[in-house]
Amino acid sequence: MILFIQQILNGLTLGSIYSLVALGLTLVYGIMHIPNFAHGAFYMMGGFVAYSLMTKAGVPYWPAILCAAAVSAVIAMVSERLVFRALENALPLHHMIAAIGILLFLEALAHAIWGAEFHRMPTPYTGSVTLAGLSLPTQRILIIVSAFVLMVALNLFLRKTLLGTAILAMAQNREGAFLMGIDANKISLLTFAIAGALAAVAAALFAPINLIYPTMGELVIMKAFVIIILGGMGSISGAIVGGLIIGMAEALAGFYVSSDYKDLIAFAVLVLILALRPEGLFTKGMR
Amino acid sequence: MLQLDAVTVRYGNFTAIDRVDISLTHGEITVLLGANGAGKTTLFKTLSGLLRPVSGTIIFDGRDITRSKPTEIVRLGLVHCPEGRKLFPALSVEKNLLLGAYVHARDKAGVQRALEEVYSLFPILRDKAQDEAGSLSGGQQQMVAIGRALMARPRLLLLDEPSLGLAPLVVKQMFEVIARINASGTTVLLAEQNAYGALKIAHKAYILEQGRIILQGDPQKLLADDRVRRAYIGI
Repeated sequence: MILFIQQILNGLTLGSIYSLVALGLTLVYGIMHIPNFAHGAFYMMGGFVAYSLMTKAGVPYWPAILCAAAVSAVIAMVSERLVFRALENALPLHHMIAAIGILLFLEALAHAIWGAEFHRMPTPYTGSVTLAGLSLPTQRILIIVSAFVLMVALNLFLRKTLLGTAILAMAQNREGAFLMGIDANKISLLTFAIAGALAAVAAALFAPINLIYPTMGELVIMKAFVIIILGGMGSISGAIVGGLIIGMAEALAGFYVSSDYKDLIAFAVLVLILALRPEGLFTKGMR
Repeated sequence: MLQLDAVTVRYGNFTAIDRVDISLTHGEITVLLGANGAGKTTLFKTLSGLLRPVSGTIIFDGRDITRSKPTEIVRLGLVHCPEGRKLFPALSVEKNLLLGAYVHARDKAGVQRALEEVYSLFPILRDKAQDEAGSLSGGQQQMVAIGRALMARPRLLLLDEPSLGLAPLVVKQMFEVIARINASGTTVLLAEQNAYGALKIAHKAYILEQGRIILQGDPQKLLADDRVRRAYIGI
């Protein structure tokens, strides 16, 4: 039983990270219909920036995470401005090619700056909390709580502020939003910035129990795509629930089946869910 | 108030709007009649900045808005209520309306006043304020669309086929509402296929066919014109 609860906790941790990454991906897809593979690179850059600030510049953990979020937000905005906006009227395939191009470019850049080695990020939260015979590593609890707080904050922003509502409006009816004087360029930049920041925070939270390396974003972005496809492209609740489903499935299958197959689970779940519900778990469209 | 001079719009090689001249007078309702595909929606999208003309000029209140962006045009007071409503279906009626006032968001008191005005024009929307816009009936959705456009404080309101898909009784109410909006000082350009109802409330009318203005003038005279009766009224 204790082992099972440990696995649930692991699943929640993984799921929180996946949800944060998938949220940014689904937001960008919702308003611009871009399958943004470069999102994996925003995640990776966030990890490296936080790592460098902590190990080279001696910046404490939380400020380092904030800086990483800011850097990834800027990288995301620059790629929107320089690449995706130039392709505004291009075929959808071109967006995908450009996104993969940005991913490869940023991976090469990280390779040039930090090398190909694997790095482990330090964390001040190395201990664990013991609760009713369960040993809960502090970093994992931190991940779950931070992800939860960010999701609540994002939700409040989207539902309670005019700017957030404008993002939802643009996802629901682009032309209607333009006719109300909503500035498409501003909303696109803002959405990319939010997505980049969320990805960076996810990476910096996850890095102490994982590793940092230039291609670390690839598997994560693949899984994030699985999540938003099964949750319904552009659906916010779909990204959160989908992230948790994939995280749980990986943790449980990794433990009870074989950890060699854990990366396969996400794709097996995708095939299974799409076979039963081809439209995804949630209705399409941002709500 | 609005002056179109030889405006031409193309989609690739297809000329959708061909050297159209239109002139609107302040305070009037002008009707643009035309069948499906005549170019009414294309013309409206050009006026609101969603499409760019290849030639010609559009002057609104003395300013050249031919190449302005939609957001600038809305700020100037030219607001387009689109065909098919283009609501935000999963947002509440109230949020749809508040987004209409997006460019005036800083003026909180003004936004509240405009919201009250829309609610007094369409009292049913006050009861449905927290419902998702997509859950409303067609007529109510059209009210949300017009209300949302009014929230942007138009001096010139473009209404693209507001009667489309509505029951005859609701269409009649819709035309009454448009006349009321006009009576309160808003200039209106109305695109319609429902010639009879539209010509009844109009001060001036244009007939668009295959991207060209083929007839224009006094609505009463057009109502009596045989060609108009045959093509648009069906008598």
